[in-house]
Amino acid sequence: MSLLAPLFLLGALALAVPVIIHLTHREKKDVVAFPSLMFLRKIPYRSVRRQKLRHLFLFALRCAALVLIALAFARPFFESSRASAASTLGPREVVFLVDHSYSMGYEDRLSRAKAEVEGRIQSLGGEDLASVVVFSDRAEALNQPTSEKEVLRAAVSGVELSARATGFGPGLKLAKRILDDSKLSRKEVVLVTDFQRLGFEDEDDDVWLPAGTVLTPVDLSSKVTENLAVTGLTLERDEVSGRERLTASARVTRKAPPESGPLGSRISLEIDGRSLQTKPFELAPNSSVTLSFDPVTVPAGEARGAVRISDDALPKDNAYYFVLSSGQALSVLSLEEGARRARRSFYVERALEIGDRPSFRTESKALSQLRAADLDGRDVVILNDVPALPAAPAALLSEFVEKGGGLVVVLGEGSSRSSFTEASELLPAALGGIVDRARDWGGTLSYLDYGSPVFEVFNAPHSGDFSGAKFFRYRAFASPPNEGVLARYDDGVPALVERRVGEGRVLVWTSTLDTFWNDLARQPVFLPFVHQLVKHGASYAEAASWHRVGEVLDADRYLQMALEGEAAEDDAAKRSFDIVVTAPSSRKIVLPRTEEKALLPLEEQGFYEVRRARTGGGASSASAAVNLDTAESDLSPLDPEELVAAVTFRETATAAAAGAEADESREAQEGRQAYWWYLLLGALLLFASETLLSNRLSIAAGGKAILKTTTPVE
Amino acid sequence: MARRSERDSASGVESHFRFVDPKVLARIANLNLLARSVVEGFISGLHRSTYLGRSVDFAEHRAYMPGDDIRRIDWRLFARTDRFYVKEFEADTNTSFTLVLDVSRSMSFGSEGLTKLDYARFLAASLAVFSQKQRDRIGIVTFDEDIVEFVPPSAKHLEIVLHTIDRASAQKPSDYRRPLLKVAEAIHRRGIVVLISDLYDEPEAILDAVKGLRYKGNDLIVFHVLDPAELRFPYAEAASYQDLETGEAVPVIPEYLREEYRNLVQEHVRKLTRTLGDNQIDYSLLDTSTPLDYALFHYLATRERMTRTR
Repeated sequence: MSLLAPLFLLGALALAVPVIIHLTHREKKDVVAFPSLMFLRKIPYRSVRRQKLRHLFLFALRCAALVLIALAFARPFFESSRASAASTLGPREVVFLVDHSYSMGYEDRLSRAKAEVEGRIQSLGGEDLASVVVFSDRAEALNQPTSEKEVLRAAVSGVELSARATGFGPGLKLAKRILDDSKLSRKEVVLVTDFQRLGFEDEDDDVWLPAGTVLTPVDLSSKVTENLAVTGLTLERDEVSGRERLTASARVTRKAPPESGPLGSRISLEIDGRSLQTKPFELAPNSSVTLSFDPVTVPAGEARGAVRISDDALPKDNAYYFVLSSGQALSVLSLEEGARRARRSFYVERALEIGDRPSFRTESKALSQLRAADLDGRDVVILNDVPALPAAPAALLSEFVEKGGGLVVVLGEGSSRSSFTEASELLPAALGGIVDRARDWGGTLSYLDYGSPVFEVFNAPHSGDFSGAKFFRYRAFASPPNEGVLARYDDGVPALVERRVGEGRVLVWTSTLDTFWNDLARQPVFLPFVHQLVKHGASYAEAASWHRVGEVLDADRYLQMALEGEAAEDDAAKRSFDIVVTAPSSRKIVLPRTEEKALLPLEEQGFYEVRRARTGGGASSASAAVNLDTAESDLSPLDPEELVAAVTFRETATAAAAGAEADESREAQEGRQAYWWYLLLGALLLFASETLLSNRLSIAAGGKAILKTTTPVE
Repeated sequence: MARRSERDSASGVESHFRFVDPKVLARIANLNLLARSVVEGFISGLHRSTYLGRSVDFAEHRAYMPGDDIRRIDWRLFARTDRFYVKEFEADTNTSFTLVLDVSRSMSFGSEGLTKLDYARFLAASLAVFSQKQRDRIGIVTFDEDIVEFVPPSAKHLEIVLHTIDRASAQKPSDYRRPLLKVAEAIHRRGIVVLISDLYDEPEAILDAVKGLRYKGNDLIVFHVLDPAELRFPYAEAASYQDLETGEAVPVIPEYLREEYRNLVQEHVRKLTRTLGDNQIDYSLLDTSTPLDYALFHYLATRERMTRTR
C-alpha cells in the first residue's frame, strides 16, 4: 500500500496530546494532606485493573478513529505497475497532438516531433486507438481513431510545416471532441510542441479535457533560441518629376539570450525577383530596428517585392512580401456655369491636387460645353452650382451614372428649385427653398453617417471635427428624402444625400464647396472630406499590398480592385467566369463561377497569383502577397506544467514530463480507488460507537467512582 | 451543687457566645497565659468559688470575693482589720491528674488554621491550670508510636507540664497499645487520666490500649479531637489524598464518597462511645471549633460525677 500524501500521517501525532496532557495533569495534581485514610480505604472501590481496562478500551476506540482520519488524509492506495495497470484497465484512446506551426521549423523541431510520435505509436497496445491531430492556430485530424500503426505512421510522416502561428486552444478542443466521442475508459493526450508562450491564450483556460485524461506534454523547445525576423514593413510612395517612387522601411526584430552579443546581418530589397539594395546592420539581443531603403522607382504595372534578411535557424520569418500595383488616378470633371466659375471650384481643385493615394486628375469645363467624349474615362463629375441642367447634358450624365460613374451635385446661389427638372431621376428628391441661418450665426452639421465611406475615416477620436464649420445658407429639399441621407444640419435638413442610379451613384451636397455659403473650406476636415466624397463617388478601392496567413481573400473583388481600381458592390451581378489561383507552392486552386463568392483561404507564405479564366484582351491576373503572423517569431517557451494545469481537471492525472508519468499515475490510481472515503466512514462509525459506549459506562458507574492508581493496601 | 454544675455545663454547650473561639485564643503565644485566661473566665462564669477543699489545714487568708461562702469569713480578722478575709485551706483532693497527649503526625492536621495538636495543647494546658487550681497533682505523657515525654504527677509540676505541652510537636505515626500500656505501668497511684487524641484506630484496639489504665483504677476521660473537615469532608476537587502518617496517597473524588465517609465517621464515634462507655470510660468528641470551656465543663462535670460515685 502506498500513500499519496504521507505527511498527513503526522496528524496521528495528535494522539499523543491528550495522553501527555493527562499524564502531566496527573503529575501536577494537588495533593491534599489528610490525617488518616482509615475511613477512605473502607469505602468499596473498583479495582485498578478493571477500571483501567474499561477506559483503555474507550481510549483505543478514540485513538483508532483519529488514526483512521489521519490515514484518510494521507490518501492510501494500492500501487500497481504501469504494465499491470495497462493489462487490467483496458485499452486506451490516445490523441497525438502535433504542433506544425511555422516555429516548429526552428532547427529540427518538426523532425524530432515526428520521431517522438512514431516512437509512441510503436509502444501502443494492440487494442489502443490513436489519432494524429496537427494544430497551429487551427487543428486538423489526419486520421480517424485507429489501432493500425501503419496508418498512424503514414499520417505522422505526412505532417508538414504550416505558415500559421501556434494556438493550443483549437488542438485541445479537437482532442477533447475525439476523447468525448470515444467509448474507451482510458484516455490520453500526447502534446508534442515547442510550447510557445504566445500560443497560450486566456481563453484556452476554458478547454477542459475529459476527467481522467492523462495529458503527456512532450517539450521540444530549446533552452537557448536565437531568431532574427522581419516583423513589419512600411511602403511610402510619392511622385517626383512625374515618376512614382517607393521608399520601403522594414522592421527587424531579434530575440536572443540577453548575454549574447550584437549580431550582424544583411537586409535586401527585391523587386520582381531582382535584388535592388542590400544593407548590413547590427542588432543587440531582444531589440528591434527600422531599416529604410533608398527610394526606388516603381515599375509600370504590377510588381512583386520582398524584403529579406540572411537565413538563421528559423528561415520562414526572414522574408516579408508585398505587391506594388501601378498608381491609380481618379479623373474628375468639374462642370460649372455662370460668372463666378473659377471662384466656385477653387477650393475643390486645390484639395484634389494634393491627393496621392489615389491621385486626382482634375479638369474644369463649362456645362454648356459638355460632350459625350468628355465623360469617357471619367470617374467622377462634379456639377458645381449650375443654374440649370439642360436636357442634353442631363441625358449624358444619366448615362454616365448608369454605367458606374459618380456624380457630385453641389447646390448654391446659382442653383434653384427648377435647376434639375430635366434630370429629376438623378436627384433623390425635388429641390426646395434656401434656408438662411445667418441670423443665428450659422448652422452646423449635427448628424454624420459614420458608417458610410465618406465619413468612415472621421469616426475615430481626433480624426476630424465638423462641428467647427458654420453653414449660413443651404438648400432644402421640397420633400426630404428618407433614404441615403449621409449628413444633416442641426435643424434636420439633409446636408449630403446619396442615391444609387444604375451602377453609379449621385451625391447631393446642399451647400457650396467654397466659402460663399459656409466656411467648411477653411476647416481642416475639408480636404479629407472632398477626397472621401470623390473616392466614394468613384467607388474607389485600393488593393492591399500584402495579406496575412489565415485571412480569407475575396478573389473576385481583389481582382477588380487590383485591375480596375474599384470594387463591385455586394449586390453586383453574378460573375461569369472561373477564377484560377496559383498558390506559392505552385498548387492550382480553381474557384468556379457557380460559387457565389470566390473566397480563398490564404494558407501559404509568398505570392498567390489570381487569374480570371476567360479569354479576351487586357490584363486579367493579379498577385497577392501573403506574410506570416510575426508574433510567432517570439520563441519564448511556456512552462508545460502551466498549460497542463490549465486544461486538466484536478483529479485528472497529468504528467509534467515523460519521466514523471509514474508519479502522476499514482494520483490517478488513488483517485480511482478512493479508500480515503471508506476510512472516513470508519472513523465516523468508531466515534458513534465510542459515544454509545461512554454513555453506557457513565450510567453504569452510578455516580460513584474512585480511581486508584496506587496498589491497594487491603 | 453537682446538679447545678451539670445544668451550667449543659447551658454552656448550647450557648457558644459565652466562650472564646479557640482560633482567637491561638493568638496568645504564652500557653500559661492562655490556659489561665480560659480557666479564670470559666471559673468566674460559675458564680462561685472553685475552692472545693474540705481540709482543715489552714493555707492562707485572702480577701473576700463576691461569691465566697460567708461562713468562711474570718470574723476575728474582720474585728482586727475591719476587712473581710476568707480563710484558705489546703484542698484535700490530692488527686493525680495525668494528661496523656497524642502527638502523632495525624494531630498536625488542621483545615482552618488551627491544628488538632494546637487545640489539644490548649485543652491540655487549660486542664492543667484548672487542675492546679483544684490542688491536684499534675503530670503529662506525650506519645506517638511510643512515649515521647513523661512528667510524673506532682503538685509542683505545672510549669514543667506546660513546657512539655509547649514543646510538643507531631513527628511520628501513632500507636496506642504500646505507649498506653507503658503509661499504665508508670502510673502507680490512682488518679484521673485524660487522654487527648484523634483516635485513629479501631474502637476495640483503642479499648485494648486504654483498658490497662482503667483497670488500674484510674478515672479515664477521653477527649476525641477531630477537625471539622474530618467530620464533614467538605472537599469538592478530585485530588490525591495523602495519609499524614504513612505517606500513602489515594486519588479521591469527594462528591462520590462524602456521604459514605460521614457515615463511617459517625459509626466510628458511636462505636467509641459505646465501647468506652461500657468500660466506664468517659468519652467526649471535640472538634477544633468547639470552645475550650466546653471541654472544661465536661471535665468538671465528669470529675464531680466521679467524686460523687467514688
